[in-house]
Amino acid sequence: MALTISRRALFGVAVAATAAALPSRAEARPRVVAEPDAVGLLYDSTRCIGCGGCVAACKESNGVPWDGEPTELDCTTRNVVKTRNLRQPSAAGASTAFVKRQCMHCVDPSCVSACMLGALHKQGNSKRVPGEPKGTGIVVWDPDLCLGCRYCEIACAFSIPKFEWLAANPRIVKCELCRHRADPTHDGPLSVANPACAEVCPAEAVVFGRRADLLAEAWRRISAEPGRYEPRVYGESDGGGTQSLYLAAAGVSFQDLGLPDMPSESPASLSESVSHAPYLHGLTPIALYAGAAAIIRRNRRRAEDESAHHGEDSK
Amino acid sequence: MNHHPHPRPIGGPLLDRGMVTLLALFGIAEGVIIWRFVAGLGAVSNMNDGYAWGIWEPVNVVVFTGIGAGAYSVGLLCYLLNRGEYHPLVRPSVLVGAIAYSLGGASIMVALGRPWNMYWLAMPPMWNLSSVLLEVAICVMGYVCVLWIEMLPAALDRAATSRHPRWSAFGRRWGQRLARAMPYIIALAMLLPTMHQSSLGGLMIVAGPKLHPLWHTTLLPLLALVSCLAMGLGTVVVLTAMMKQSWNARHDHELLVDMCRVNGGLLVLFAGLRVADLMAAGKLDFLAVPDFYLIVFVLEMALFLLPAFVFLTGRVENSRARFVAALSAVTAGALWRVDAFLTCYNAGESFSYWPSWGEISFTVGMAAIGVAVFIAITRLLPVVVVHDTPVPASIAAFVLSAKPEEAAGRSGALTAH
Repeated sequence: MALTISRRALFGVAVAATAAALPSRAEARPRVVAEPDAVGLLYDSTRCIGCGGCVAACKESNGVPWDGEPTELDCTTRNVVKTRNLRQPSAAGASTAFVKRQCMHCVDPSCVSACMLGALHKQGNSKRVPGEPKGTGIVVWDPDLCLGCRYCEIACAFSIPKFEWLAANPRIVKCELCRHRADPTHDGPLSVANPACAEVCPAEAVVFGRRADLLAEAWRRISAEPGRYEPRVYGESDGGGTQSLYLAAAGVSFQDLGLPDMPSESPASLSESVSHAPYLHGLTPIALYAGAAAIIRRNRRRAEDESAHHGEDSK
Repeated sequence: MNHHPHPRPIGGPLLDRGMVTLLALFGIAEGVIIWRFVAGLGAVSNMNDGYAWGIWEPVNVVVFTGIGAGAYSVGLLCYLLNRGEYHPLVRPSVLVGAIAYSLGGASIMVALGRPWNMYWLAMPPMWNLSSVLLEVAICVMGYVCVLWIEMLPAALDRAATSRHPRWSAFGRRWGQRLARAMPYIIALAMLLPTMHQSSLGGLMIVAGPKLHPLWHTTLLPLLALVSCLAMGLGTVVVLTAMMKQSWNARHDHELLVDMCRVNGGLLVLFAGLRVADLMAAGKLDFLAVPDFYLIVFVLEMALFLLPAFVFLTGRVENSRARFVAALSAVTAGALWRVDAFLTCYNAGESFSYWPSWGEISFTVGMAAIGVAVFIAITRLLPVVVVHDTPVPASIAAFVLSAKPEEAAGRSGALTAH
């Protein structure tokens, strides 16, 4: 007897579970591509001299007092330059390399997918703040919609969003490409943002511009000096593509620079496909609810009939 | 269903020594909560930008709700699979569920950095429907309400037996009205956990690059769903044994054996799904690397499969073996959940994490107040079906001085009757 029940139970569970949780790749959401006027940064590790000017400029333009050279991103550091030890020396024989880290402004950001109320959103997509510039692709944070749940920190593959751990009214802090320094009198990218890091860089290691232009510039540099560069632009498609792009010296792996190895499908796309597909646009919950209610009602009616017919000796 | 024995309030002192201990533990947690709102999360916890959820989300939410899933799994058996004999187990399970889920929700509010913005959650146009966490949040909030509504009949039954005629009439009238609405509420109580338990697992899919490949899979939602059913059934077996020991609660041997066999199937299903998924994804190579993750994986699988072995063989008849196996089934699900959310999540080389005393005392204090509320409600309201000679002792006292031999002996005597 017991075994029949367990089979029935398992069957029921299997049906419910399949309906609720089986990912269906057919339902996968369309790939998000970069908007034509999306802006970003190009960082050229081979040109960077590690002067830290961009780090100081970042703090100054964001109104954070200087308290010594930072080594990691934190809630007072939106931009940092690190010296990385390379597991494999570069083609030129260097055993270390510089890398600048700040928000990648992903084409399809995990943090935006994760954020419950859209506090983190692509500029222009806010449901609360009207009139944000559209099409820049800058990932911005709205303090009024943020619950401080920190799912963005869990979700971000680059560990970019930072939280003010010692504040009673904590904020999420990350690079927003100095959108507050935008100059509307300009045309083009400077009209929506003007990152201080790119402005002060003396070596053209950090360049701000339209993502499409930066990508072209990156490939121009690679083809002009093929021996100097690793023939790949990190962020062109990694993790679904990013608006901050990276060039590395020949023989240096991007993972040695601390950038994660990611497939071209964004984590957000994978997560949303798996999580949304079983819902069939809301049909599954309604069907499950209706089915459950019908079965429960029928079972109860039968039990009532039974006890009415047999009285107390039905057990 | 009048042929079922009726639950009764346990009675007895509300404030005994066990209760005072539990409340003292909660008092410490209260201190942590107050200091957290004054000085920030970092002042009481070791949470950091890499391990931004610490132990509160993995344990207080993901594990507590797994333990509370007994309401879901027993409900599935009793109402959807029409196993009416499970009815005496429903109320205690639903009470555990209501308490566990409320604690999960309360813990989240303490863990949120900016809880004063929560009012936006009441405005559906502002929802980001892509957010897995939003689905969990909305669904869990709704389910907490449903669980407490499911507990209302206990309160109304108690009112109906009141000596005060007005209370008694109120209890009977509303008890009948609620009984008519119950199928629709129970259906919701079956749907919502199906949704949010799978979404809880789905939370970590987006964190793919930071989660160890042995834990990161698109099957996370399904595994979370199966594991909550197994944890829930395990919890009910453990709870029933403890209530029998403390309060001489009714203890239907056949029923528990039956339920454990179902659980055995679930545990095997979980382990099978996991191994099949690793094979399909070509991840078996990771099992050849003798590292920390392999130890954790083997430990998890052992905790899942050992109780399955007990449940699916004759050993399930032995109440002591059954108790330990059920405890192992709960631990297995809890460990897998903590591993997927914390242990096997790697935020990168610049981060490390170990919970602070503040975090631990908050988690312990929340668990303690949960036990305290369970004891208080079962003493006051008809939740548990008891034999005619109740033994006054608290669950806490049982925990402090558990004598499994005695439990085994007593259940043996009960089987005979």
